[in-house]
Amino acid sequence: MLAGDMLKRKARYFLLILVLCVFSSCFQIIEEINVANNGSGTVNLTVNLSASKTKVASLMLLDSVNGYKVPSKQTIQKEMEEAVVYLRSAPGISNVKKTLDFENYIATISFAFKNIANINNVNQNVLKKMKIKAINNSSYSFNPETGIFQRRYTHTKEALIEYNKLKPEVKNVFKEASYTSIYRFEKPVESSVNPLAKVSKTKKAVMLNVGIMGLINGKTNITNQISLAK
Amino acid sequence: MNYYFKSAIAGSFLLGSIAVNAQDLSRKIPADALAVATLRGGNLTELMSVSEFNQSFLGKKMLEGLAKDHIADFPGMEDFGFNLSSDFFYYNQSSDSVSYNCFLLPVKDAAKIDLFFSKRGKIFTVKDQVRSYFNVDSTEAVHWNAEMLLSVIPIEKSAYFKRPEVRERLGLSTEEESNLYAPENANDAVMADSAAVDVTEAMEVVDEQEELVVAKPVKQKKSTAVKHRSKKTKLKGKKSAGKNSKKKVGKKNLTKKKVALPKEETAEMEVSTSEEAPATFESDMSSDTVVVDTAYADNNDNSNSPFFSDLRIKRAIMAKWTAKMSADFFAGKNQGSILNNADFNKSVDHKAEATIWISGLEKLTSAYLPLDYFKGVNFMGGYGAANAKLFLEDQSIRMSSAMTFSEDMGNVLRKVHKRKLNKKFMKYVNEDQMIGYMAYAMDTKAYLQEYPKLISKIYGSVYSDEIGMATDLFSLLLDEEAIGKVIKGDGIFVFNGLSQKEVAYKSYDYNEDNFETKEVMKTKKETLPDFLMMISTEDTRLMDKLIAYGVKKELLKNHNNYYEVSIPKSPMALYFTIKDGVIFLTTNGQEIQQIVNNTFTAKLSAKHKKALLGNNYAAYFSPKKLSGKIPAETLGRLTQVEKTNKTLSALGDIYIRSFPMKGNTFAAEISMDIPRGQKNALKYLMSITEDLQK
Repeated sequence: MLAGDMLKRKARYFLLILVLCVFSSCFQIIEEINVANNGSGTVNLTVNLSASKTKVASLMLLDSVNGYKVPSKQTIQKEMEEAVVYLRSAPGISNVKKTLDFENYIATISFAFKNIANINNVNQNVLKKMKIKAINNSSYSFNPETGIFQRRYTHTKEALIEYNKLKPEVKNVFKEASYTSIYRFEKPVESSVNPLAKVSKTKKAVMLNVGIMGLINGKTNITNQISLAK
Repeated sequence: MNYYFKSAIAGSFLLGSIAVNAQDLSRKIPADALAVATLRGGNLTELMSVSEFNQSFLGKKMLEGLAKDHIADFPGMEDFGFNLSSDFFYYNQSSDSVSYNCFLLPVKDAAKIDLFFSKRGKIFTVKDQVRSYFNVDSTEAVHWNAEMLLSVIPIEKSAYFKRPEVRERLGLSTEEESNLYAPENANDAVMADSAAVDVTEAMEVVDEQEELVVAKPVKQKKSTAVKHRSKKTKLKGKKSAGKNSKKKVGKKNLTKKKVALPKEETAEMEVSTSEEAPATFESDMSSDTVVVDTAYADNNDNSNSPFFSDLRIKRAIMAKWTAKMSADFFAGKNQGSILNNADFNKSVDHKAEATIWISGLEKLTSAYLPLDYFKGVNFMGGYGAANAKLFLEDQSIRMSSAMTFSEDMGNVLRKVHKRKLNKKFMKYVNEDQMIGYMAYAMDTKAYLQEYPKLISKIYGSVYSDEIGMATDLFSLLLDEEAIGKVIKGDGIFVFNGLSQKEVAYKSYDYNEDNFETKEVMKTKKETLPDFLMMISTEDTRLMDKLIAYGVKKELLKNHNNYYEVSIPKSPMALYFTIKDGVIFLTTNGQEIQQIVNNTFTAKLSAKHKKALLGNNYAAYFSPKKLSGKIPAETLGRLTQVEKTNKTLSALGDIYIRSFPMKGNTFAAEISMDIPRGQKNALKYLMSITEDLQK
């Protein structure tokens, strides 16, 4: 999952924050990818904690909660900046931008790519850098010739194992969290294989909106193959 | 005046009832009982007649459960042969090896109890007017005569049976062996339970055979109770160790009878004639044996393992002890009566519907906890006798409890509880607005000074050096005097209800055309408590420093004579001020202004004032006032909301309070008013149980 991989480094901190939202907290992860006919495109990632901002704000006043260290505003900014620097140097990636809204606790990163395979490289490198042995369980491909866009995803048990280690009150944070992916194309979509995905009225966009829990426990599969009109 | 008049009437009535109540079985309770529970039938039947109870929901349920298929023979609670207007007791008696749970009930008509037992297919024997019934493995015994019924359930103390010298003496396997064969998740208690249940169920099925079975052994065996008993129970143990096959049960029944018989020796049989008995007995036995054995082979290969053979031996020995204990009871061989115990007598309250008395927590814990594990650390040291009483009155349900401490502990508690609640608090409570409160008063300084002493009492005997150093360090680091001035130790929390505040947040919408994301503002409601908290303080220097720091860091907003705590992005406002040696903390901006401007309108009834100022701990909660104030969103479905509100408004006001220390006794009480229109507490409780079933 691009969102997960991309932000893993930062996500550590975001997760920490989430972890603290023990009440009616919920969060959103939105991944938008626009793919041009020639295979280039843009990515926009959003992590939105706005619905839990009361709790996040209170918790950020503390050093640590439930045994998790609460990152300071500065730490979050610094880590985001490092991610941007890394992306800028990555092959095929350009126009990297970030926004950090501490009023509503919304973070976004956007960038352009020459080829969608560039995203996969980024993922792998980020994982390597973080010394995470996880199998790269997510990848994208687009063939301009055939007009087939593929999103491969396999669930790893590690996610569930890690989740099960969390305290019950922390687990609650994930119960109402959602993950949304939107892929937009220049040509109309002829078919989209994943039954959970919706095709827009213009037929040029595919959206998939699922709960994070389903991804953690492996009940939801977000693999998709989208065929575009010739 | 009226009060004295009432007390006089109540007093004379009580004296009368004591004199009339000839069937007071409490004198039969042995002096060494560790705990005694009393249920006063007389008081209960006065609140609700037996016929009324029979018609009630609970009454019907109880009758069904007790009489089972013989409801025609036992149409009402009075038909079971007990004296319902007398006292019922439970008591616990312990030795180093067994804990006996004893139920002592007053009998009105023994013939009815006889009938009950025989209708239920439970065979008993009679000797000297005393009827005796034993369950299958003799681990439960019931004896009764025209005056009383005693039911004993012994429970082994595993620590005793783990002692190597005991294991050797009793012929038990070594502990390792026994553990090796212990069934997973099974402990003795579970085993015993399942066996017992099994048996009673099956007994109804094999009614007839049982009666016959009994007859024969009586004729055959004539020897001392003790010898027989152990032999019998061994036999039974083998059976009961098996899994629950009905056939096995038949066999258990047989053995049970044999166990029962030694008691009688010269008993006349109640049931069945001896002529027809032997034949049936034989056939019954043989058929049983066959089936039992197959059952054995089928599903219980472990039955001869050390674990089960130990179980058999232990049960046999406990059955022996239990029989001796109950025989002594009826023979009047008990060493002294509990009525000679002054502390027990003090706890007797004829007005209470139910009481529980515990001879001393220290004694009780040492009787139950394997103290060798704690290596001499005495957690319950200093705790003496305790009691709890339930009063069902015309206008309230009241439960009081009291505990007596040792002189040392009493001293500490008296010092800690010397403080009273600050009277100034009363000026800021309005009972029309509040839903409840919680107030406490203790002396922080005394607490900090005495706490180390308490700790050294608990751990002192073992870790005296370490504890001594730690407590010295504690005193060195903490300036008890100074802390005691900052927070004196009394405070009150007034709960005024719940409120909802809207919170806006950002989210995203997607248009249907191309799933373009659009930022939108949404709102959700957060439920927040409304409260006022007051704490006494003397030395505000530390507080002042904290305030100055807070203001500098912009965590506090200064509104001249009060402060607002700024919790970023929080919908909850929090205000505080320090005035006249009181720290005020509230969620209500208007309220804090009234407090600083001296315009707060206080309203507090004498009842609340007395509870607050007269006790170290006082709490009040009005469920009725809360009903309708819980935001629907918090509860979810509408039906849930209605149900909650209905339940809340059906409950009366609840009060909790502690009383000032009397000598070394600390007492507390919880009570609930009964809603208007209810005749008395018992009837009210009955109506609630009925409502809950709907």
